[in-house]
Amino acid sequence: MTSNKPIREVTCADFQEQLPDLFAAGGNGVPEDPDLMEHLKTCETCGALVRDLQYIADQASLLLLPTHEPSDNVWKRIQAEMNSEPTDSTFHPPTHETK
Amino acid sequence: MDAQGLQMTQMNSSPGLFKRNPPIAGEAEAIESAKAGDAEAFSRLYALHKRRVYTLCLRMLGNVSEAEDMTQEAFLHLFRKIGSFRGESAFSTWLHRLTVNLVLMHLRKKGLNLVSLEETINPSEDDAPKRDFGSRDPQLAGSIDRVALERAVASLPPGYRMVFVLHDVEGFEHNEIATMLECSTGNSKSQLHKARLKLRELLRHPEPSTMQDSLKETVK
Repeated sequence: MTSNKPIREVTCADFQEQLPDLFAAGGNGVPEDPDLMEHLKTCETCGALVRDLQYIADQASLLLLPTHEPSDNVWKRIQAEMNSEPTDSTFHPPTHETK
Repeated sequence: MDAQGLQMTQMNSSPGLFKRNPPIAGEAEAIESAKAGDAEAFSRLYALHKRRVYTLCLRMLGNVSEAEDMTQEAFLHLFRKIGSFRGESAFSTWLHRLTVNLVLMHLRKKGLNLVSLEETINPSEDDAPKRDFGSRDPQLAGSIDRVALERAVASLPPGYRMVFVLHDVEGFEHNEIATMLECSTGNSKSQLHKARLKLRELLRHPEPSTMQDSLKETVK
């Protein structure tokens, strides 16, 4: 005879309360707890939410590649500071523009 | 965090960061030459890393002028401290950690939105993401492009933006973020979750005026 543990009713609020930890645990929002899993399988709203949050986290890598470039003034100012600073090394700032 | 704190503990490299920061051709030689005082080599390091450092500053600060100032500070700090780089982590990881620490110190000094980081980390109720208990909107999958995401991130409240950029873009772990922001790990997890929820809202229902303002601020 198998003893089936009664399924605990999980609301959307209960499920979404757990989401920060579920994502932080590396499971991409997918729970191991059978009650939470059952809710995720049957709830369209929470299923869509988890898919969207996974997608946003995945797409964040799009922003890793830098697309912005500082103006040439930044390097000029760095050079000027380097020239004016006494250092314990033997730096001689280059004379050409950095590409 | 004081200036000493910025001398950067060379934490054991995490595989994720190495994956995201693979070695760059010619970088190792440039580092060694720069350590020995070769200024040409230092300018090569600047050329290799300026865009990544500047973009990080811009994302964290949301302001071109401040981002340029902090880029300058980061490279000057690098100039002074490059001798202490021992290669225990990827150079770019080390440099990015240095940059993040400098930006955070700058924000603390400014006091403004960061009178306390907790305050920045906890935006006002108006900015907080709405909870989703039954809305029927189209799914995001396949619909986000880089520009839309960049705009949405720029319009996040500063605390959300900070944690999202550090974790999801730069690849820092929650415990590292908690140390940097002087908050709890749980707070970092919670803020990241709220940031993603807010992004979902922004991406599904873009607010034209907010987006425009953010974009103007970013490109100003």
